[in-house]
Amino acid sequence: MIKINGLHKTYGNNEVLTDINLAFSKGHVYGVVGENGAGKTTLFRCIAGLESYTGTIISDLNPLKNHLGLLLTDPFFFSKITGKEYIRLLCNARGKTNIRIDEKNIFNLPLDQYASTYSTGMKKKLAITAILLQENAYFIFDEPFNGVDIQSNMILTEIILKLKELNKIVIISSHIFSTLSDTCDEIHLLRKGAQIKSVQKSAFKDLEQEMKAFTIGNSIENLDLK
Amino acid sequence: MLPYFRNGPVAIHKMKYYFHLQFRITNRKIKETGINPILAYLLGLVAFILIAAYLFQKTEFAKYIVLLTCLSLLSKLSDSNRTDFLIATFGDRLKNKIRILENGMVSIPFVMVLLYQNAWLEAALLWVIATIFAVFSFKTNVNFSLPTPFAKRPFEFLVGFRKTFYLFPMAYFLTVIAIQVGNFNLGIFSMLLIFGTVLSYYPKPEQAYYVWVHAYTPKKFLLYKIATATQYTSLLVAPILVSLLMFYPNEFHIVLLFFLIGLLFVWTIILAKYSAYPNEMNLPEGMLLAFSVYFPPMLLVMIPFFFKKSIQKLKLLLDDQD
Repeated sequence: MIKINGLHKTYGNNEVLTDINLAFSKGHVYGVVGENGAGKTTLFRCIAGLESYTGTIISDLNPLKNHLGLLLTDPFFFSKITGKEYIRLLCNARGKTNIRIDEKNIFNLPLDQYASTYSTGMKKKLAITAILLQENAYFIFDEPFNGVDIQSNMILTEIILKLKELNKIVIISSHIFSTLSDTCDEIHLLRKGAQIKSVQKSAFKDLEQEMKAFTIGNSIENLDLK
Repeated sequence: MLPYFRNGPVAIHKMKYYFHLQFRITNRKIKETGINPILAYLLGLVAFILIAAYLFQKTEFAKYIVLLTCLSLLSKLSDSNRTDFLIATFGDRLKNKIRILENGMVSIPFVMVLLYQNAWLEAALLWVIATIFAVFSFKTNVNFSLPTPFAKRPFEFLVGFRKTFYLFPMAYFLTVIAIQVGNFNLGIFSMLLIFGTVLSYYPKPEQAYYVWVHAYTPKKFLLYKIATATQYTSLLVAPILVSLLMFYPNEFHIVLLFFLIGLLFVWTIILAKYSAYPNEMNLPEGMLLAFSVYFPPMLLVMIPFFFKKSIQKLKLLLDDQD
């Protein structure tokens, strides 16, 4: 379980997250959606403990960060480190030292090549593989589907469903609604740092329609495309 | 339109603008440390002259230290990403001119020192190497990753070794020469060269994620980093250490003393790095480190001081409870 109560985050005078109250239960997958700048990544960084904040975040496993696999939107890789060495770095950091990395290379990555030479999608797949092998209880995937090929997206969807089956907590952000509707049990909508609404699986279609109407509105007509 | 493109040949103005931009970037970096750039240049020049004078007064290997220091600076300018950027922006010919000028500017103070000390051969050698470094780009095949004995505990030695691998055969070769010609000091110098190289793996802070990801307390994290560095540094120094102990058994206490001091410096640089984290080490840490080079017993004070400070900084990213 992870519970967020009255979370606020400010940068100087600019409040980027306002009174966030969320609860995440084991064996569930949660989506967090919102436009660019809505505060999704900041929220994830607060949960991870990478940002300071006011309010409380409690979890059944403590410290939360030591049980959390965090996929950043744009993971950074050292210049001369191979894929396998990157995975080992992340596993060592969690005390997992006897992992047969080659056997667990689910995305068929060239693990003996420098990770910095990988394409954007390959880098993301490498980062995902590494945090999966850390054997975490909680997962935050910030835009995991971006830049990844269709085949790997299918694998990723199945992985997320497997994590749910294993009683993990998975929190995902994505700009592709279908990827969330395939995997999530509940979706939280953020707008300008505020928590607008939370929607259960049965009402995902309505949420998508509502978001479409809000985002697109009359803007396409106003473009007056010819 | 930029003012530098108004008159004269375009190439010259492009170069002028490039160097003007580099000067501004350097000034900005100096200002960020809170020092007036003019004062920093003056202090830098005075410090350079004093250190050079001190080195030549203290050791006969000063000319090699000057040579290697300059080469390590030049190798940073030869970074392949940087070279690619210059080629893409200015084209091959102009890039060569820019690089020759850059390396020339960096080498001048070192060449002057060598000339002043009558080290003609070394000065000429430095000038030639600086030109070669400027014109040739040393690229490695992207599909080839250099094997290292450091894969079990990434990342500092993996990345560092792959960037500086060419220095190790040089250091081991110097040890062989030192034994052949019976020059003990040269042997010690070759060991210090390894320590100097290892020290260069640490000053730059890694991204917060790579600290955060550790399920360690700050204390355990620092001890893990220190243990890894000690193990891997010892591995790199071992061939020199064993050779010197075998061929100069009467000087074993000096060999071990230098080895120990070298390790203490490695510990200090790790702790100094995290004492400023997530920022880069700055003037205060630099001054304390420089003072420790001048007076190594200071390390015994510096290590606990930086350790305590590092714990405070790391508490922001790592949980303090076991």
